[in-house]
Amino acid sequence: MGKGSGLIDIRQARLRESVDHAAHLLPIQGPIGVFVHHNTLHAFQHLPFEEAVIESARIFNAEPYMSEAAYRAELARGRIHLEDIDAVLKSEPDAMVFPRLSRRSLRRALITPGIREFDAATVMWRAEQGDLARDFRQPALHALFAACFARTVAHEQETEPARPVDEVIHPWLIRLCAVFLDQGIAYWPMPQREAGFYRSVRKLLSQRGGIFPRYLTGLDEEFRRQDCLSFSAFDAVLEYLDSQHFGQADWDKILQTELLALPGWAGLMRRLEMDPSLAPHKSLPCSLMDFLAVRLTMTRIASGRGAAEPDPQESALKTEEKLRLSRTARVYDAARVVSLSAGEVEMLSGGEWAAFVSEVKACNGWERRRILHLAYERWHERQVLAGLASNRKYGGLSEIAARPAAQLFFCIDEREESMRRALEEVDPELETFSAAGFYGVAVNYKGIDDPHGAAFCPVTVKPQHVVLEQPKAEDNALLERRRLRRRLLGRLMQNSFVSSRTLLRGWLSTATLGLLSAIPLIGQLLAPRRYAQIRERLNKAFLPEPQTELAFMRNTPQSQEAVAGLLVGFAAAEKAEIVAGILGPAGLKRGFARIVVVLGHGSTSLNNPHESAHDCGACGGRRGGPNARLFAAMANRPEVRQELSQRGIEIPDDVWFIGGYHDSCSDDLELYDLERLPGGHRMDLERVRDSLENARARNAHERARRFERCPSDASPAAALRHVEGRSEHLAEPRPEYGHCTNAFCVIGRRSLTRGLFLDRRAFLASYDGNQDSDDRSLAQVLAAVVPVCAGISLEYYFSFVDNYRYGCGTKLPHNITGLMGVMDGHASDLRTGLPWQMVEIHEPVRALFVVETTPERLTRVIAASTTLDELVKNRWVRFATIDPASGQVHVRRDSGFEEFDGPVERLPVAFSSPEWYQGKLEHLPMCRIETQAAGR
Amino acid sequence: MDLSQALLLFIVLAPGVVFSVISLLWLVGWVPKERVLSATTGIVFAASIFALAAISWNVGAAPVVIKFRDWFAVGQYDFPLVLMADRLSVPFLGMTVVLSGLIGQFSATYLHRDGGFLRFYLLLHLFAFGSLLAFAAASFDLLIGGWEVVGITSVLLIAFFQQRPAPVENALRVFTIYRASDIGLLLVVFAMHQWAGTASFAGRFPQLTGAQAAVAGLLLLFAAAGKAAQIPFSGWLPRAMEGPTPSSAIFYGGISIHAGPYLLLRAQPLLAHSGMASALVIVIGVLTAIHGTIVGRATADAKTSLAYASLTQVGVIFVEIGIGWTWVAVIHTVGHATGRTLQFLRAPSMLHDYHQMHSAAGGELAPTGKHLDSLFPERFQLWLYRWALDRGHLDTVLDRLVVDPLVRLSRVFAKLDGIAFGDIRSRREEAAISLQAGSGVRGD
Repeated sequence: MGKGSGLIDIRQARLRESVDHAAHLLPIQGPIGVFVHHNTLHAFQHLPFEEAVIESARIFNAEPYMSEAAYRAELARGRIHLEDIDAVLKSEPDAMVFPRLSRRSLRRALITPGIREFDAATVMWRAEQGDLARDFRQPALHALFAACFARTVAHEQETEPARPVDEVIHPWLIRLCAVFLDQGIAYWPMPQREAGFYRSVRKLLSQRGGIFPRYLTGLDEEFRRQDCLSFSAFDAVLEYLDSQHFGQADWDKILQTELLALPGWAGLMRRLEMDPSLAPHKSLPCSLMDFLAVRLTMTRIASGRGAAEPDPQESALKTEEKLRLSRTARVYDAARVVSLSAGEVEMLSGGEWAAFVSEVKACNGWERRRILHLAYERWHERQVLAGLASNRKYGGLSEIAARPAAQLFFCIDEREESMRRALEEVDPELETFSAAGFYGVAVNYKGIDDPHGAAFCPVTVKPQHVVLEQPKAEDNALLERRRLRRRLLGRLMQNSFVSSRTLLRGWLSTATLGLLSAIPLIGQLLAPRRYAQIRERLNKAFLPEPQTELAFMRNTPQSQEAVAGLLVGFAAAEKAEIVAGILGPAGLKRGFARIVVVLGHGSTSLNNPHESAHDCGACGGRRGGPNARLFAAMANRPEVRQELSQRGIEIPDDVWFIGGYHDSCSDDLELYDLERLPGGHRMDLERVRDSLENARARNAHERARRFERCPSDASPAAALRHVEGRSEHLAEPRPEYGHCTNAFCVIGRRSLTRGLFLDRRAFLASYDGNQDSDDRSLAQVLAAVVPVCAGISLEYYFSFVDNYRYGCGTKLPHNITGLMGVMDGHASDLRTGLPWQMVEIHEPVRALFVVETTPERLTRVIAASTTLDELVKNRWVRFATIDPASGQVHVRRDSGFEEFDGPVERLPVAFSSPEWYQGKLEHLPMCRIETQAAGR
Repeated sequence: MDLSQALLLFIVLAPGVVFSVISLLWLVGWVPKERVLSATTGIVFAASIFALAAISWNVGAAPVVIKFRDWFAVGQYDFPLVLMADRLSVPFLGMTVVLSGLIGQFSATYLHRDGGFLRFYLLLHLFAFGSLLAFAAASFDLLIGGWEVVGITSVLLIAFFQQRPAPVENALRVFTIYRASDIGLLLVVFAMHQWAGTASFAGRFPQLTGAQAAVAGLLLLFAAAGKAAQIPFSGWLPRAMEGPTPSSAIFYGGISIHAGPYLLLRAQPLLAHSGMASALVIVIGVLTAIHGTIVGRATADAKTSLAYASLTQVGVIFVEIGIGWTWVAVIHTVGHATGRTLQFLRAPSMLHDYHQMHSAAGGELAPTGKHLDSLFPERFQLWLYRWALDRGHLDTVLDRLVVDPLVRLSRVFAKLDGIAFGDIRSRREEAAISLQAGSGVRGD
């Protein structure tokens, strides 16, 4: 027994290793209800970006960059510049191909004027009556092709054969995964699923009396056999591998292929295996080994029955000829653009010809697109750096001299950039700051309507504290009534949900009440905003709203004990730490205004499975209102202020913090706990409120310029109504454009960007390098900002460049399954990534972080963090610095930081943002907004 | 032609005219703006709704009938062009114009910027025209025309996302089922002409003997069951969920799936005449309703679950028709179509709705499906679940009994073809390649 089981253990351990190895390639998106942006190619982050995209493109059969045609279009419209292409080529090693031709000039010619793509499938047609045939009308080109053809012999296999077994087993596997993981759509949960995927499927499919399709007959017998031998999932997988005579060396590859055939479902299984608490309602014993056991058993039966035999193809000779032709065509086109003649081709020695062919092959479509992409990013980089440098050099407006009318904190989110700008345009005496939108309050929060608490912080942080929202003592009875009524509503909803789907109750409800649904149908389609308002009013009338407070104090001995592993509330020192962690890096240590508003954000939309993807990334894909409210409440505590003054942050007694929430879809604003505001601050509050009211309409107006369905001459008020309607519209696949415009990030003082029109393209993080001698704040800010922004930027990049593989395609056929994710239609892989409607206007560039510090300081801080170092070293993000003292700009290239030498010219000036963007749909360059000038 | 006749003609023809004009203009190179399309759609259906409201006042007493000349006549046979709006067709016409209008409104936003915007609207108009024609036809001859148009638009919208293989494959499957079941309708027309000399039901239904009525009734049931996805055809319905959400809503929640019941309601006098046919309608309805409700309980995705919910109620409507409760069936149909369309349109909200329900209930929803546990022994539960998971084995059986033998047969023919001609063909092709490459290259 001993020796045998030892061998089995070793094999099992080896198998687990193989599975883990393959599993790291699976998407790490969890259930869709909480959407967290992350680098789609997280599994390749240890590689340099340009290698990783190619490696991944090979494995997933995906696109590494935009299409060559797309880059050519950008070249044609001036978004890509020839000087950038030259600069990119110049930064890479050169060599001579043969005496007349250098690699650099060859590559330059392959990109502009450029060559065409050829493939074996179409080359015949093109030679007979397409573009090649047109070429052949010129005798010289005809001769050139002939010369190339004569010297081209080799051929290579171009496409992988399809896997017909998948067509047989996927419908079953998809349906089984769906019912197994279901969180409540199916009326009958899958029986015995608590036993795990493999066991419950085995039990279910081994029932006698079932009928299977032709290729799967015998599956029930096979499962019965495995049942008799009381197989574990390991046994089933091992048996399959042995039966196909795969040695251990092949396991990695085989398992990878099997798992990547349905990456969405396998990925979700894996995700839930690693963290079962991610399941929104019912946690299930998931395991990738179970998934493989079921999959491989099915594969075995199906291939045993002949499903694996592909349909007959055309004859081998024909394919070989086509391959030779397409290969010739590629070399011919390269020879054409470097003006080689047929004679010269014939004169090349064998070595020279081979060198030429291999250079052409090395500069294939992917390589050309890489160069074009770098040029595409380079121009963007120059624009951003020149704009910032110019603003610093010529921007007249610096710090506000007197005490500001109010100070407002926003999330670093690029969607808040326009909001901040709008506020400063409305009231120049306001000062704005930004910090990651959970405001350092990593908390497990439970509101009065929530059944459970949830983590409101970045996914990488595990909250240690729990905070409950409670009714004020006098409102306890109100809350009780609210709960009862909500429960009633809930039961009503559930009943109507279930009853419309069943036989007898469905008969009664559809035959009698069916016609009544004409009211919501017509209301929601013809007057969505009005309908939502009425519903809201009814809701308010029916559900009493108790005033609430947050149980966040931890002063009594009882509450200091850990509850379920979490601490209830925060102690005074912890609160002070949190507040200092935001105010310190922002450089706000004195000079406080009488009112400081702290705004969290989130997004509300209807009929949108991807709703959570628009919420606050720094709050882990949730709405950041509670974090802002907590932060403000903490900063208002006298004992916290006392503690803070010892850390050098002096908050005078007449300063009051207010928490709030900004909805980035409807541009709604809500301020919390205003009843606590000291009486003397009423006037100050009114002023801030007016400005916010005004600014949110302007913000809506600026956002609406991208929405073709909003008339371009709409007033701010009309634009506000438009975006409000969008968030309530049943048919709106793009309630907002989310992070679609993200492109760069400025980490520095607001004076760097104040008065600059950044077109909602920049994440902004407040950081004052002058007050940070030991760079501790810088490390803090970078750690909070860079991973979040990089995750967003890279997810948008990949979902844009290959929306089908990396993204989840168009939203229109999406079908929610199991409350876990979406499928295309009734049976597809689970689609992960972002839908086309969310990314369609995106410019795929890696995020450019511009930090207001020196290259030396930045390098030190980055080197100290492995996460940052990996991102930076492998170029998943781009970095540049602006010296806080001199304003000198440095940009990080392969070799390290180089001084930015682009021309810094005065930016165009507009008197208001609308003047600059009015009537335009596309991304806009920077400009200076000089409201003062207009006033004078 | 009096006013109400003109209005009826307008209602039926308007979407057809919109379809023809826009597609002709498109053929000569004009691509209409989204706004133009959605505004046209809105205006046309709004006008149709008013027109229908105007003529439906008096329909109960005197149906509106428009008689054109025969389209053609061959010997004994003539093809009458007669439109009619009576008490039965008006609810269906109303449902069509209202839901098409609403779907047009919905899609203007939903499909905004989609490459298939124009195609969708063209198909929506064509579909509306088809169903209006089917519901307003006064003879089975003409009804077939509308019926087929509904079928083909349904198939084209399932294949709307034609870049992916799955929608096209599923659309093809639905197309095949439609075509197979349409045979029933065609045969009925032949039979009626043979037996009664006409397939027109304007005024008075063709008179058939008991046996004839039974045969005709069964044929109609066959056709209606295919269109309404009743047993044994039900397997196509979940496959039809590949299209964009609004087309799923209007076809399988709203109108197309209720065309089956309409056909049977039209043939009510015939069913009344034959106890056997009525009984079979009831049997099919009962089986489908049970099938639908059981399978639907074990589906975990929003749209398939709605598809089976639809199926169940349409089964119940069949039963009502079989029993002879015409008006119950009509009311049920209209209520069901409205409610289900809304549910389909809201399908992407399921996450949101469920979350709300869950939190309102305080984190613990009343568990569903408990009577499965309490009613049946464990073995049977597993068996039943397995049965539901494969959707009652309907498609599997169809595949094994019909599709697989057909495919095998075609392979045999392919092989025969290969033996007879294959060698010659491939040799000729290879020769052509080397010739072409050679001549192209050496360039003489």
